[in-house]
Amino acid sequence: MRYLVLLAVVVLVAAACSSDDSGSDTTAAGDETTTTAAASDETTTTAAASDETTTTAAASGDATTIDFWVAFSDEARLGFSEEKAAEFNAKHPEYNVQVTSFASYNDVFDAAVLAVDSGEPPGLIHFFEAATRQALDAVGADGNPIFKSVTDAIAGRTEILGEPVVLDSVVDAARNYYTVDGSFYSMPWNTSSTVMFSNMDILNEAGITEPPATWADVETACAAIMALPDAPSGCITWPNHSWFVEQSLGQQGELLGNNDNGRSARATEVNLESDGMLAYLDWWKGLDDSGYYTYSGLQRDWDGTTAAYFATEVAMIVTSSSDVTLIDEGALGAGFTNVTSFMPYNGDVDYVGNLIGGATIWMLDGMDQTTEDGALAFLNFFSNPENAAAWHQLTGYIPITQDAVDLLESQGWYEESPNSKVASDQLAAAENTPASLGALLGNFVGIRDVITIAIEDILVNDVDVATRMAAANEEANKSLSEYELLFGG
Amino acid sequence: MLILGLVVAAILGPAYVWRNNDNPSARRYGIGSAVAVLGAAVTPLAMGRCAFEEGTSGVDHLLAYSLMAGGAWLSLIVLQSLFDRADGRKSDTSGMTGEIRTGGFRLGWWVPWALLSPTLIILIIFLYLPAIQTFTLSTQLAKLGAPKSVDVCFSNFTELLIADPWKLVAYPLLAIAAIYGARFWLHRSSPGTWSRKGADIASVFAMLSVFIALYAMFSPGGGGQVAYRPVYLNTVIITVGIVAFGMIGGLAVAYLAFRTIRGGSVYRTLLIWPYAISPAVAGVLFFMIFDPTAGIFTHVMDTWFGIDVPNYRENALLAQASIILASGWKILGYNILFYLAGLQTVSLDQVEAALIDGASAWQRFVKIVLPALSPITFFLLVTNLVYAFFEVYATIDFMTKGAPAGKTSVAIYEIIRVGVNNGDLGRGAAQSVLLFAAVIAITLWQFRTTGERVTYGGA
Repeated sequence: MRYLVLLAVVVLVAAACSSDDSGSDTTAAGDETTTTAAASDETTTTAAASDETTTTAAASGDATTIDFWVAFSDEARLGFSEEKAAEFNAKHPEYNVQVTSFASYNDVFDAAVLAVDSGEPPGLIHFFEAATRQALDAVGADGNPIFKSVTDAIAGRTEILGEPVVLDSVVDAARNYYTVDGSFYSMPWNTSSTVMFSNMDILNEAGITEPPATWADVETACAAIMALPDAPSGCITWPNHSWFVEQSLGQQGELLGNNDNGRSARATEVNLESDGMLAYLDWWKGLDDSGYYTYSGLQRDWDGTTAAYFATEVAMIVTSSSDVTLIDEGALGAGFTNVTSFMPYNGDVDYVGNLIGGATIWMLDGMDQTTEDGALAFLNFFSNPENAAAWHQLTGYIPITQDAVDLLESQGWYEESPNSKVASDQLAAAENTPASLGALLGNFVGIRDVITIAIEDILVNDVDVATRMAAANEEANKSLSEYELLFGG
Repeated sequence: MLILGLVVAAILGPAYVWRNNDNPSARRYGIGSAVAVLGAAVTPLAMGRCAFEEGTSGVDHLLAYSLMAGGAWLSLIVLQSLFDRADGRKSDTSGMTGEIRTGGFRLGWWVPWALLSPTLIILIIFLYLPAIQTFTLSTQLAKLGAPKSVDVCFSNFTELLIADPWKLVAYPLLAIAAIYGARFWLHRSSPGTWSRKGADIASVFAMLSVFIALYAMFSPGGGGQVAYRPVYLNTVIITVGIVAFGMIGGLAVAYLAFRTIRGGSVYRTLLIWPYAISPAVAGVLFFMIFDPTAGIFTHVMDTWFGIDVPNYRENALLAQASIILASGWKILGYNILFYLAGLQTVSLDQVEAALIDGASAWQRFVKIVLPALSPITFFLLVTNLVYAFFEVYATIDFMTKGAPAGKTSVAIYEIIRVGVNNGDLGRGAAQSVLLFAAVIAITLWQFRTTGERVTYGGA
């Protein structure tokens, strides 16, 4: 038995060290195993993934394999990816797009970097907006960038392998966010914004006819709602996630990073003490202190906050528009009227604009021309008007191209489901300024963590907002300067 | 500065030789001195003079000296075992090997190595090499996918500690003094007197003084330092809680289930099941029980008794208690399993004899059953500690994510948060090294203290 294990180890090492090109089928299995060994916390997901490998690989004999690593593990969104990959494979039998699921964006990225170093990278990976800087900066062991610009790879073609290029049709908010140094590096996929959902039954009972628009409106509405004899246990909730803070900064026209939020040059400083930041957190803490805001007690708690809304423990929730479909259905099931509206903003300052969130698909560098064309064709197929519209209807992520918006309009979708249009409208209402575009920051994941922990401290331990954010600011700047030391050239 | 450390090593090496050998030769003094210097020089050779360069603090020097002392000490221990071998003294004094006649392989010296090689190769590839890489990483500022990494010497460690090197030296010395003082008092007092009672109490406090000293040594945060003191405190509370709950609960349930009851074997099998559950699932289960919105417990309390249960994640005490409950419950089955097996080895004759002598059930349990179970208890103490240190990440991640405001963030949770989720490989590695050292220290301490009281039966 031990010798068998030893043999397995030797084979593994040999597989890891081999520098074969990534296209052939023989190395595909080795690819999976090496990543599993490297990303040790991925055991369950990759175990599931290897099942997939066997099922999809069986369908194709000599097809060129394109690994597509997706950071979704839920049935709806992962299922959509797998379904579209299967459709693409059927349409282009010379290719075999294989979807592998990961638990989180970070897991995908770590696994991809390690896979690049072991010489068996995937073709496409799914990675989120806040890590755009990190993805642009990432290099392999040889010092070359890991990712290749999708715009450069398309090189002006209008169709690839018969799939029309949809990159030019991407809606402005996503285009502007993801355009760095004048070009698209990655292909936008799931894109959303923060919107508010209101239980109109409760609001009406309290004499409120419209969902509140400004912070002051929210307070007025909450005062009325909490005065009801059968008042819910809280008035409003949203996840403690840095994204909401970033949205609020965008609304108030406040920058998070210097150098125009890191868009005119690399951001070298981050500001967690701006007036906008303190105003938002003071308002948030005030809601919490007066018992209007319900904190689920968990950071980044998307599910718990939504569950509280379904259970009518709160009358309103601010959350991602990606849940529009889910919440519409949930409200229908719970038997209350749900209306979606813009994220509440600070009425004391001019509204500048909300930003997007979500993720794009990055293409790894170093594929041969055939494989790369297959990957590009898949990307454009994946977001063609029909697929982008279907993705929007399935989830609530905005239709990512103008063509998809037009298609949905011609189908009368928005009359049928007005809540689905709110996020797109909110993004369209934003000015095109660095503040409302959102920041490009190094180590953004770590900085977001600093912000989230500080907010939890403020909400739970009742500490002073300005003092706590001063400490958080120091920590975040240290984190950013260390990042710039490593990546800033 | 560096030279000073090596000179001290050159002097202390012979002193160690003098203390452990009868009339050592001049040659042995020389070898001792040389080996001590070499051992002390290992870390400076590996890391360069970085800890003594300009801009370094007293804490940096302190860590460098500690590592030099550690290197010298380890190499002297190895040297001493070689001396003992040359003198024909058996360095291994454990009872087992003494009785077994040593033998050799007929084919040659390489046969045992060849037979061991599969295990050794796996150990080297998957354990020792990554461990060495962790040590290297812990002295760097490094991120996955970065074009370069920067050597930061000890700063990943110093930022976890308070900035005053004198206090860092004084606190552990005070703790050691307390322990030796208590031990001295214990030796001087005779059993049954008030003095012995005082000494017993003092021993407990002396033991606690180690934890207090460590608490004082970790940084409370601010001024560019990492607030590691709360993490340390959480780790101590949650670890002690899990081990105490898991072991006392395990023994209690096992003792109850061991009695002859109808369907006893069914109970006993069912009791072991929680062990088969992964820490993540344990987290999800207790989340489903206590969650303020969807929780079963909160729902039942609210609808049946009208009690509004507070959100366990917003209260430090409740959050820590829920983590202890979930993690302790998961390890309970494992402890029950071992205690059930252990209870079968308890001599019934002794229990019967005690019964005839009129000992109460409690007396029989404390005076006969507990001592007979001591080897199992000792084994479980070690395994439970390792579990509480290393396997609670998933439970915490599902139940609290460190809430409220980091009050349930224990060492292993911090390591994964910093090193994996935030991609700060160097700091993650440094914290791993710290946890690694802590576990080694605690295990050694257990072997020295608890281990002495364990009886394995026999003559």
